[in-house]
Amino acid sequence: MNGAGDTRAAIGLNLLLFSVGGVAFGVDAEQVEATLSWEGAERDDVTWFHRELGYSGGAVAYRAPSVLVIRTGDSRDYRVVIDMMEDVAGITSDDIHPFPPLVEPFALRKGLWGIMARGGRIILLVDFQRLLRERRDADAHGEVAKDGIA
Amino acid sequence: MTTSDDRLKSEELLDEIKRHYRAGEVVDVEEERVKVVIFTSAAQRYAFYGSAIREILPACEIWWVPGLPEYLPGLINVRGDIESVIDIRYFLGEERADPGTCHIAMAAWGAFHSGVMIDSIEDVVDIPVSAIEPPLSTLGGTARDLVIGEIRHGGATVTLLDMAKLAAKITL
Repeated sequence: MNGAGDTRAAIGLNLLLFSVGGVAFGVDAEQVEATLSWEGAERDDVTWFHRELGYSGGAVAYRAPSVLVIRTGDSRDYRVVIDMMEDVAGITSDDIHPFPPLVEPFALRKGLWGIMARGGRIILLVDFQRLLRERRDADAHGEVAKDGIA
Repeated sequence: MTTSDDRLKSEELLDEIKRHYRAGEVVDVEEERVKVVIFTSAAQRYAFYGSAIREILPACEIWWVPGLPEYLPGLINVRGDIESVIDIRYFLGEERADPGTCHIAMAAWGAFHSGVMIDSIEDVVDIPVSAIEPPLSTLGGTARDLVIGEIRHGGATVTLLDMAKLAAKITL
């Protein structure tokens, strides 16, 4: 959001919009190398979005799954099964809200970096490269979940 | 019997008594008062200082976000501003509420701001600070960490909670 006297130019972004388990997400299209149809067979190099994000409550029903191949900048593939690919939306950085301070530390650990309000709903912006980095850091340090209570 | 300036001793005494009364009246008038917002949560009555509550919102959609702790049920959209929501029941040791039926008290205390899920608003009243009594020693659990004291309202006891303590409890 531009504040008074803020003269910076808004940055344009193309978002791929999808939903998983009734929650709407957007990912910067530049992070996505390809979108593949889901073949229905479990593969070691493919992870499920709800598992990556740590959905609570167990199973999540996918109605129209597809696979995002994420650019990682290294030789390793990062493929994530998402659901309900809906739209491509052109937005600017002015359309994006940061997470509220209480929520942001937890959100960032899951690669969630911003929020967009659109059509009466809230869309969570996910950075798969950040998510991958957070996961690798957590694996490296053997971290356990923190609840932020003093 | 008169004093040197011909005033009666009774006049001197009466003046002194009146000064004393006036001083007493001033103390009564200027007794510090504080506004409190009384609300219910799981059939219990609680209150926050009014200075910590910006507004009360009716039940609205709370947008779940993956990876949040149990006391943060999600986000709300308040006239275009995205705010966090705290489930106060988590800290009061009560069963979780249905987010779809709760009101949201918009809290602000210094840099801390968030919605707080409550069941309903009972009243907003001004009370003398002296009416705030120390909390019952029998009050236990997590709730005790948040309590400033107790007040009486409508024949019932209301537990006064400290927004600053709640803010401090949720580390950033």
